[in-house]
Amino acid sequence: MSRKASGLKAWAIQRLTAIYVGLFALYLLLVLLFAAPADYADWKAWVGGPVVSVAMLLFVVSVLMHAWIGVRDVLIDYVHPIAIRAALLGVIALALVAMGLWAAQALILVRLT
Amino acid sequence: MKFLVSRYNPDSDAAPYMQEFEVEVPRGMMLRDALLDIKRQDESFSFRHSCGEGVCGSDGVNVNGTNKLACITPVSELKEPIEVRPFPGRPIIRDLVVDMTQFYQQYKAVKPWVVRNDPMPEQEILQSPQERDKLDGLYECILCGCCSTSCPSFWWNPEKFHGPQALLTAWRFLADTRDQATDERLDALEGPYKLFRCHTIMNCVEVCPKGLNPTKAIGHIKALMLKNSV
Ligand code: SF4
Ligand code: SF4
Ligand code: FES
Repeated sequence: MSRKASGLKAWAIQRLTAIYVGLFALYLLLVLLFAAPADYADWKAWVGGPVVSVAMLLFVVSVLMHAWIGVRDVLIDYVHPIAIRAALLGVIALALVAMGLWAAQALILVRLT
Repeated sequence: MKFLVSRYNPDSDAAPYMQEFEVEVPRGMMLRDALLDIKRQDESFSFRHSCGEGVCGSDGVNVNGTNKLACITPVSELKEPIEVRPFPGRPIIRDLVVDMTQFYQQYKAVKPWVVRNDPMPEQEILQSPQERDKLDGLYECILCGCCSTSCPSFWWNPEKFHGPQALLTAWRFLADTRDQATDERLDALEGPYKLFRCHTIMNCVEVCPKGLNPTKAIGHIKALMLKNSV
C-alpha cells in the first residue's frame, strides 16, 4: 500500500474488505454446514472450481489487507518511537505477504494437480 | 458527603494524590458549589470556573471517572465518595487546573471561521432556514474539552489527532453553505492522523454536556471525503 493510502483509502478499504470477508465467511459456514465436501477429492473439486478459487483468493487477500490496516492503526496509536514502529510494521508486512503467497500457492496447486 | 479531590502542586508534590473533604450538601447543590465549599475549607485548592450555568465551559472535571461540567452536575446524582480529578491525559498545572494548549491548537488548526473566496458582498450572506438548520448541533459547542479529553485517540496522539471537538468544528464549517473552502478543508484532514485516528469509540458523545454528537460529525466528514474522491 502506498503512502497515499494512509487516510481515506485505508479507511475505505478496511470497510470494503470487512463486508467481503463477512459475506464470504457466511458462505463458507453454510457450505460446511449443509454441503460439506465428503472427502479430499470432493474438497479439491469444490475449491478448485474457477469461481470458488478466485473468490477464496480474494477472501484471503481481503483478510490480509484488513489485518494490515488494523495492525497499522494499533501501532500508530500505541507505538510512537518511529524506528520500533517501522521495524514492527516491516515484520508484520513480511508475515502477511508470506501468508498470502502460501495461500495463493495452495490454491494454484489444487487447480493444477 | 464525602469528597475525594485530586491535589497536585508541581513545586512541592512528586505526584498527584487524593485528599478527603466533608461537605454538607443542601438540596439542589451543584458540584461547583461543593468545590467552592472545599476551597473555603482549604484556600490553596485550585479549580477553574466562571459562569456557573454551563455556558463558559471552563469548569470541566473528571467526576467518578466521567468528564462533566461541575456547575451543572447535581451532587445528588453522584455516588459517594465523590472522586474529583482533573481531565485525564492533560498536563496538570495545579490541582484540577490543566493545560489545554494542545486542545486549542487543534481547534485553531481546522480554521474555525467562514472562508470566502468570492469578494465579500455589501450585505450579509443570506441563508435559507434549511441551510441554517444544518448548523444545529454543531455551533453550540462551548469548547469545554470534556469530549477530547475523554477520547483515547486524543490521549495517545494529542499533537497530531484533531480530537472530537476540533473535528466537530471542522464539520460545522464544511456544513456551512457560506463557506467556500470545502476542498482545502478536506485535503487538510487527509492522512492517518488528523481525522482518521478516530475509531468511533464514542466516548465523546457520551460526555458532551451540550448533547452534541462529534462522532456523527466525523462520520459526515468521512462520507463527504469519500463522495468527493470517487
Ligand atoms: S468517536 Fe472518535 S473522536 Fe469520539 S471519542 Fe471516539 S475516537 Fe474519539
Ligand atoms: S463538543 Fe461538547 S464536550 Fe466537546 S468541547 Fe464542545 S461542548 Fe464540550
Ligand atoms: S462555570 Fe461556566 S460552564 Fe461551568
